[in-house]
Amino acid sequence: MKNNLFEIFKIFFIIGIQLLGGGYVIVPLLKKYLVEERKWITEEELIDYYAMSQCIPGIIAGNIAICCGYKIKKTVGAVMAVAGVIVPSFLCIIILANVLINVVGNEIVQNAFWGIRIGVIVLIIITIRDIWSKSVNSKFSYLLYFIILACLMLLTISPALIILLSALIGIIYTKLRGEKND
Amino acid sequence: MIKIYFLLAYEFMKIGVFAIGGGYAALPFLYYIQEQYNWFSLDELTNMIAVSNITPGPIGINMATYTGFTTAGIFGSVIATVSIVFIPFLFCVSIMKIINKYKTCSYINDVFLGLRPASCALLTSIALKLLYTTLSNSNSAFHFPFKFDILSIVLFLILIIPFSFMRKNPLLVILFGAVCGIILKTLY
Repeated sequence: MKNNLFEIFKIFFIIGIQLLGGGYVIVPLLKKYLVEERKWITEEELIDYYAMSQCIPGIIAGNIAICCGYKIKKTVGAVMAVAGVIVPSFLCIIILANVLINVVGNEIVQNAFWGIRIGVIVLIIITIRDIWSKSVNSKFSYLLYFIILACLMLLTISPALIILLSALIGIIYTKLRGEKND
Repeated sequence: MIKIYFLLAYEFMKIGVFAIGGGYAALPFLYYIQEQYNWFSLDELTNMIAVSNITPGPIGINMATYTGFTTAGIFGSVIATVSIVFIPFLFCVSIMKIINKYKTCSYINDVFLGLRPASCALLTSIALKLLYTTLSNSNSAFHFPFKFDILSIVLFLILIIPFSFMRKNPLLVILFGAVCGIILKTLY
């Protein structure tokens, strides 16, 4: 497994360039590059990091990148990962900001981004389908999934709180099941 | 001038810590900065948000870079961008260290037993909310009666049907969405 620092930076840089239409796209991109192509992290780890990133302060896409980078090569890996994700947007703004201001109201650009927004939704849906079997695969997880989904859709409740609660539920559930088996 | 750098670092660290959730959580903080310091006008801020939306990268990061750049040049943008990720970085690395250290502890595995379905549910709720606001062409949350934008539904179906069967490349979905977006809107 060749994962020298430049390689890590390069992969996250490539991911950073493709982050069009907001940070959500980072989950499918990490899945493609880190899980499927490089096998640096597992699908389960990606799901875990996504959940963790919700309850760590900060920009979610940045947080997932940092966690993945740490997993690949400890703290230096994390630095490389976050740098890789930031640099493309940084350069883009520094170099192109003045051009982009004139382009932003353009109808064709608006229409393209209308299409991109729908593309992002399609990507998220496909990603859910892909990670489904790894995350929702028992009676307990089905139940938890639908309860949490209902809470998120119907109540205004912070995702961070949801994640912390479900972590607690995970512990309690195992405890209860353990006692039943004894 | 030095003072501006410190203020930028302070304000963006604050955004990094308190703007939990998507990039849009940073918006109220940016309006606050605008009012408080007058480094840029309200019009400029509106432009910055619009540009951040069409540049690659998380919107929060784009806005930090752009606000820093408008306020204090390239050095300002470096400070703002580094500041916004600095404290979350410390958090992430510490949590990863703890997880690594107690990998064998059963509690960690129990935690993830609850986290994985939660993670999936979070993604689903984001998809459903985005789907609703985009397909109904509105910015608000659910409200009756539903009014759906036919063109958005058509594009959604055009994208989801082939890409559910193909071995997918995320960039391809995005670019195909952009091209179809231009074509569909021009035709109608």
